[in-house]
Amino acid sequence: MKITIDGIFCEAEKGEMLLQIARRNNIYIPTLCHSDALPGLGTCRLCVVEILDRGRKGVVASCIYPVKNEIEVFTHSDKIKSIRRNLLMLLYARTPQDETIDSLRKEYHVPDNIRFSGDKDEHCILCGLCVRACQELGTSAISTVNRGITKKVSTPYDEPSTQCIGCGSCAYLCPTNAIKIEEINGVRTIWNKEFRLVRCTRCGKPFATKEQLEYNRKKLGEDHVELLCESCKKAVTGEKLRDIYERV
Amino acid sequence: MFEKYPKEHRYTLAMLQDLQKEYGYIPKEKLLELSQYLDIPLSKLYSMATFYKALSLKPKGRYIIKVCDGTACHIRSSKSLLDEIENSLGIKPGETTKDGKFSLEVVNCLGSCAIAPVMVINDRYYGKLTSSKVREILREYGGAGDE
Amino acid sequence: MNRTVYVCCGTGCLANNSLDVYRELKRLIEEHEVDADVKTIVKATGCNGLCEKGPLVKIEPDNICYSKVKASDVKEIVEKTLINGQIVNRLLIFDTAQGKKVISHKDTDFYKSQQKIALRNIGEIDPANIDDYIERGGYEALSKVLFQMTPEGVISEIEKSGLRGRGGGGFPTGRKWRQCCNVNYFPKYVICNGDEGDPGAFMDRSILEGDPNTVIEGMIICAYSIKSHRGFIYIRDEYSLALKNMDCALRQARERGYLGKNIMNSGFDFDIEIVRGGGAFVCGESTALMQSIEGNVGEPRAKYIHSVEKGLWGQPTVLNNVETWANVPEIIMKGSDWFSSIGTENSKGTKVFSLVGKVKNTGLVEIPMGTTLRELVFKIGGGIIGDKKFKAVQSGGPSGGCIPESLMDLPVDFDTLKNIGSMMGSGGMIVMDERTCMVDVARYYLNFLSEESCGKCVACREGIKRMLEILTDICNGKGSEEDLDLLESLCHTVEEASLCGLGKTAPNPVLTTLKYFKDEYYAHIRDKRCPAGVCPELTEYEIDEKLCISCGLCAKNCPASAIWGEKGKPYYINTESCVKCGNCLDSCKFNAVGVKKGARL
Repeated sequence: MKITIDGIFCEAEKGEMLLQIARRNNIYIPTLCHSDALPGLGTCRLCVVEILDRGRKGVVASCIYPVKNEIEVFTHSDKIKSIRRNLLMLLYARTPQDETIDSLRKEYHVPDNIRFSGDKDEHCILCGLCVRACQELGTSAISTVNRGITKKVSTPYDEPSTQCIGCGSCAYLCPTNAIKIEEINGVRTIWNKEFRLVRCTRCGKPFATKEQLEYNRKKLGEDHVELLCESCKKAVTGEKLRDIYERV
Repeated sequence: MFEKYPKEHRYTLAMLQDLQKEYGYIPKEKLLELSQYLDIPLSKLYSMATFYKALSLKPKGRYIIKVCDGTACHIRSSKSLLDEIENSLGIKPGETTKDGKFSLEVVNCLGSCAIAPVMVINDRYYGKLTSSKVREILREYGGAGDE
Repeated sequence: MNRTVYVCCGTGCLANNSLDVYRELKRLIEEHEVDADVKTIVKATGCNGLCEKGPLVKIEPDNICYSKVKASDVKEIVEKTLINGQIVNRLLIFDTAQGKKVISHKDTDFYKSQQKIALRNIGEIDPANIDDYIERGGYEALSKVLFQMTPEGVISEIEKSGLRGRGGGGFPTGRKWRQCCNVNYFPKYVICNGDEGDPGAFMDRSILEGDPNTVIEGMIICAYSIKSHRGFIYIRDEYSLALKNMDCALRQARERGYLGKNIMNSGFDFDIEIVRGGGAFVCGESTALMQSIEGNVGEPRAKYIHSVEKGLWGQPTVLNNVETWANVPEIIMKGSDWFSSIGTENSKGTKVFSLVGKVKNTGLVEIPMGTTLRELVFKIGGGIIGDKKFKAVQSGGPSGGCIPESLMDLPVDFDTLKNIGSMMGSGGMIVMDERTCMVDVARYYLNFLSEESCGKCVACREGIKRMLEILTDICNGKGSEEDLDLLESLCHTVEEASLCGLGKTAPNPVLTTLKYFKDEYYAHIRDKRCPAGVCPELTEYEIDEKLCISCGLCAKNCPASAIWGEKGKPYYINTESCVKCGNCLDSCKFNAVGVKKGARL
C-alpha cells in the first residue's frame, strides 16, 4: 500500500512500523530509544508524528506504530515540533550535562536557561534500551527498578550481578553515554563488577571478558573460537580473502 | 512454600505476595530461591518487588499503620492524622519504629471514602478520625509515649 | 411467616463494628427463638450505600431500617421490634431533606432518586450464599443464553442495549465483544478488571463484596458469545473482603455447575480464576493489567493493536470492569429495549457513583444517566456538610477534572463530562467546598500520579514530575505568572505524547482547575494567599471579634496552643505559633474564625 509522509509517496507493507518506512525514504525523525537491532520501545516519545487516518487526526509514536491503512503522516508539523521541544526541555532538565541531549536541544531551539534544574551527573534518560538488550542476550543482569518518578536502572540490590558477563552491550547501545565502562590495566569495570580481559592472540590487546567468551562459546556451541579482537578478526578475514583472490 | 504453585511464570506475583505475607517483607535469600525455582532472572524479580507497592524489601513492624490519603480523606484533613502519628511515634511514612512495633505508610484510597478520613492498623479499619481519636487508638496499641 | 434481619457488612459498616452487631443479633435471636412462632433469620449483606449512617440493620418484611446500630442496641431491637413489633425510634434514620425520622431507608431522598441495576442485589442478599442470588433470579440469564440464544444473538442484544464500559473510557461493550468474536484464533480470554484504584471510588469494591455472582454470570455470558473457556478476575490485594467473597462465590458456582466443564449440561466449558493485584494504580490500565496477570511488571503498551485482537498472552481478549459485568445479566433478562430506555441519547442505563467528600450523605448511589450533577450533590447527597459553600465536584479520579458550580445543571453522561474537560471515569464523585483549595487539589493528583505512573515513558514521567514541581512552588508562594503558561504547555505535551491512558489524562485535574478556578491560582501567585486556608505557607487565620462568643472551642481544638482568650472577650490567634491546621476554623460553630483576607506581603 501507499502512504504519504510529509507529502512524499512511500511504499509500505501492512504492519510495518512508520519509523522504518520513513527511514527507508530518507525522511528524518529524531529518536533516542530506537535501535534497529531491537523491537521499538516507544519510551522516549521523540519520534512522535501526526497522522491523518480516514479523516481523523492523531499523534502516534512512529517507532511502534504499525501501518494499517493508507494514511497521511506529518513528521514536523507545528504541533509535533512543539511537543518535541517540550520533551527535549524535560530531558535537558533531567540530564543537563549530556552532550546528545544538548545537541538535540539546540536542534529544536530549546533555550538553555529553563525553569527546571537537574543533577549534573545524570545522563540516563531511562529509555530502557540497555535493559532490553541485556534481556535479549539472555543474561538479564539489569532491570528497571521502582516506578514513577523514582524509576531507575540497576542490578538487583545495586550489587555486582552474577549474571553480568561484562560484554558492554548495554553501554554500547545507550544513546546518552549513561553507563560507565572503564578499562584499566586489563580489567574492565561495569555495573560495579570487575572483569579480567582476555588478550587477543594476534595483537595482544585486551579485548573481551572471560565470561563473555565463555557465554559465546556456550551459545554458539563452538569449542574452538580463535581469541581475536574485532580489528584483528577483520584483518584476518581480509587476509584470507586476499589469499583467495590471489589464487584466483 | 513455592510448591503449591506450578512452575509457571504467571504465578510470580502471587508467590511474591505469599512471601510478603509470610515474612512481612521479602528476604533476599527467598528472592534468590524463587529465582531458581521459577528459573527467572533475579533482576526481573527485583524489578517486580520494587514496582508493586504491596511488596517490600525492607522488614516491617508488627503493626502496619496505613493512613489513607485518597481524595476524600485528603480533603477531610488526612494530613492532620499523619502529623499526629508522626509526632506520637517519631517516624515518617515508609519508616518503622526502632523497637519494630509500628510501620507507617501513606496509601492511596482504601475504598472507604464514606467514612473518611480513614486509617487501617493491620486489618482493622478506623473511620471518621480526628487527631485526638488517633492518639487514643495508638494508646490502645501501647504506642504513644511508652518508649 | 419468616422474618429476615439484614446486617450490612460492607467495609464501611464493618469499620463501625457491624460484625459485633451481627454476632449479637444471632446470639440473642437464638436465645429467644425457643418459644417464638416467627422464624427469624439473620443475614450479613454487602454495602447498602448509605455508609454515612452505618452500621445499618434492616428488618423485612416489616420494612424497618435502623442506623448507627451498636452491639449494645441489639437487646432493645430484639425485645421491642422482633418480639413486640414496636419501633425503636431513636435508631431510625433522620432524613435531612424531610427534617424528620423515617421508618424505612427507602423513604429517604437518598434512595428515592436512585435506580438500581448493577447494585440490584446488594444489601438484599448474603453474598456468601449462592442460593440468595438464585432466589432473586440469578443465573436465569445464563440459562436463557445457553439454551435459547446464539452467540450472535447475545452480542447483538448487548450492542442494541447501548451499554458502554463503566471503567472510564466508555467504549461500547457490544462492539468490543463483536470485534473479539470476529477474530479467528484461539484460545480467547475474558477478564474482569477489579483493580479499582481511583482515589475516592469504591463502586467495584461494593459489587465484588456484595454480589460477586452477578460478575461471574456476566463473564460467562460473554465467554459463551466469543467462545472463550478461561477467565480471570483481577482484584486489588487490599480488598480482602472482596477477595474472600469472590473466592467463595466461584467455589459455589462450580459446585452448582454454573462454572467449569459442561455448564448446566449445555456442553459449554468455562472457568474463572482470581488474580490478586500487587498494589499499582497503573494496573487499572487494561494492557498493564494483562502484563500483571502474565506475571510481569505492570507497564502498559501502546494500544495501536487492540486487546480484542492481541491481549493476554497475545491472544484475543475481552476486558470489562466490574460494574459493566454486573449490568450484563439484567440486560439479557429484561432486554435491550428496556435498558436503552433508561439514560440519555449516547449513554444508556445507570451509573454507580461513590459520592464522597464534603457532602452530607456520603455513600454509594446508582442513578440513571442524565441526572444532573445538582440533583446528585444536593438532592441525593443532601448538600454540603455544615452548610458551607459548594465549590466543585471532581469526577473521574486522577484522569478527571473539577466541575464548578456554573456547570452543575449539566446531565451526567459520558459525553457531557468529557466535553467540559473531565470524564466519567469509574465513578468517583468528590464534593468540594470553600475549604478545599483547588491548586492543592491539582497538586494532590499530580503527586498521586508521580508515584503511580509506571515511569516508562518520558512524557508522563518527566512531565508529571515537573508539573508537580511548579504546582508545589505555587502552593508554597513561590510561583510566577509565567509558570501558568508553562504549566499549560506541559499539560498539552503530556496529553498528546504519553504512551498510555494514565499519562494522556493526567493533565485533566490541572487543566480544569486552570480553566474554572484561575482566580485561585492568581491569589496564590499575586497575593501570596490561599483563599481556602489550606496551603500552610499562604494561610493566616483570624477571629472576627464581632462573631466570637468566646466559647473557647477553637482554643480547645488547637494542637499548638496558639489560641488565647478569656470569658467575655473575643479570642485571638497567635500567628507565630499557629501550625495552620485549620481545626479552629472547622470547629467554630459561629463562623467567627476565617482566613485572613487581602494580599499578604
